[in-house]
Amino acid sequence: MKNIGYFFKEARTIFQVDRLSNILSIFSIGLIFLILSTITTAWWVSHQLVNMLRDEAEINVFFQEDMEDVNINSLMESIGIIGDVKEVKLVDKEESHQRMVEILGKEAKVLELFDSNPFQAFIEVKINVEKLDTILERLESIEAIDYIRDNKDVIDKLQNLISLLTIVGVLVITATGISTLVVISHIIRQGIYNNREQINTLRLLGAPESFIGFPFVLEGLFLTVAGGLLAFGLVYLGVKTAYGQIGSNIFIPLPHMEDLLKSMGVFILFASGVLGIGGSIFGLKSAKVN
Amino acid sequence: MIEGKDISLVYGDGTKALRGVNIAISKGQLAYIIGPSGSGKTSLLKLFMGIEYPTEGELKVLGLKMQKGQEANIRKLRRLIGPVFQEFKLIKGRTALENVMLGLRFLDMPSKMIKEESKNALIKVGLSHKIDTVVEHLSFGETQRVAIARAVARKPALILADEPTGNLDVDNALNIMSLLASFRNENTAVIITTHATHLLDNIDQGEIIKVENGIIKMESRGAVQ
Repeated sequence: MKNIGYFFKEARTIFQVDRLSNILSIFSIGLIFLILSTITTAWWVSHQLVNMLRDEAEINVFFQEDMEDVNINSLMESIGIIGDVKEVKLVDKEESHQRMVEILGKEAKVLELFDSNPFQAFIEVKINVEKLDTILERLESIEAIDYIRDNKDVIDKLQNLISLLTIVGVLVITATGISTLVVISHIIRQGIYNNREQINTLRLLGAPESFIGFPFVLEGLFLTVAGGLLAFGLVYLGVKTAYGQIGSNIFIPLPHMEDLLKSMGVFILFASGVLGIGGSIFGLKSAKVN
Repeated sequence: MIEGKDISLVYGDGTKALRGVNIAISKGQLAYIIGPSGSGKTSLLKLFMGIEYPTEGELKVLGLKMQKGQEANIRKLRRLIGPVFQEFKLIKGRTALENVMLGLRFLDMPSKMIKEESKNALIKVGLSHKIDTVVEHLSFGETQRVAIARAVARKPALILADEPTGNLDVDNALNIMSLLASFRNENTAVIITTHATHLLDNIDQGEIIKVENGIIKMESRGAVQ
């Protein structure tokens, strides 16, 4: 620890020897991390969304409009006793209309064109989504039910999208990881070449390899963290803009923006730190100084 | 301190730099290795510095065996000696003090002492007024003194100076020789190589070891130690 000030000073000197190249490298690394962050953000948002939909999974059961209240209650009781049904609730015509008004927001004016309430009453059934098929089978055997609307297609499509994003994400993470390692190790090798005389002198004076190499590791760490911060800045702006633009215009709820940004910040900094140290060590190991 | 038996050194291109050299340097000794350019004196010093290994024979420096495959010994030796390289090997863009300190940073020395010892060494070599000067702004002789300060600040058991008189005029060369000799004491041996044999006429201390064609021709032990 006694040399920590020296190491930082050396790292700064190494950076300044090839300043332009190093600044351009920060931008390259920043863009690499931006790609990584974008894919990770998309994966994370969709994953959160599916989990949210799974927790909120429900089926809407429609019955004949002229059904009497006694029969509706009886139908609700029949549904309630089915295993894995969590909650059964009647949504009457007025509430159904009100919900659509909330969903449509400014566009709800279109509903004023109708002379009467066009919406039907229905029974909202909260379920364990994993048991959807079994529950549907049981519901279909109840005669009083006219129509069942489930979200299975939506959930399945999202699940498929997540699988695709996971594959793409793994590929992108691997590609960006390798790219960053190569970029950093190349910069470190260049730094070693530029400082070869100093390194040789230190070796002749008996300096341990760790003493010689530490400033280079610091430089690599600095470059990737700076690149990571740049990427995070762009992600921050992107997410804020995206939430501002689409947050209020889509029907599905998005994860909290603060949580998303915090998670992305930690992820980018961690990844940049690990890749910076890894790339520097790789560069040091692969460089041969005569 | 240094014990060499039948040492030979053959470089990769087949050049036979040293042949069957026997040498012994004891603690606190002052020795001048002389000979014309290409005679093998720098090769001999490189062996003592752990820059080269003997191709044949046995060499121990400060009790450490110098042999290929003994990297740990080499690294240890390099920390124990005070080398003054022919081309100085100072770090450009750094001050005299920073250069001297750099030679001490990885030694077992508290950080406060590193600066103190470095300053003292620069004062001893007469550069108290150039401590914070960047080495490129120093004269040839001053640069040489910084290299010497870096070597002596480490308080080494063995100071090895390769052609320290280089391109200096006689007066400055003699000054450098006597400066280096002044660091010899009961614990520190000093070995200096030089091709400028005429300088030795003015020096009344130390042993003279003559090297010719890779062979030690003559060891003069007549000089006063």
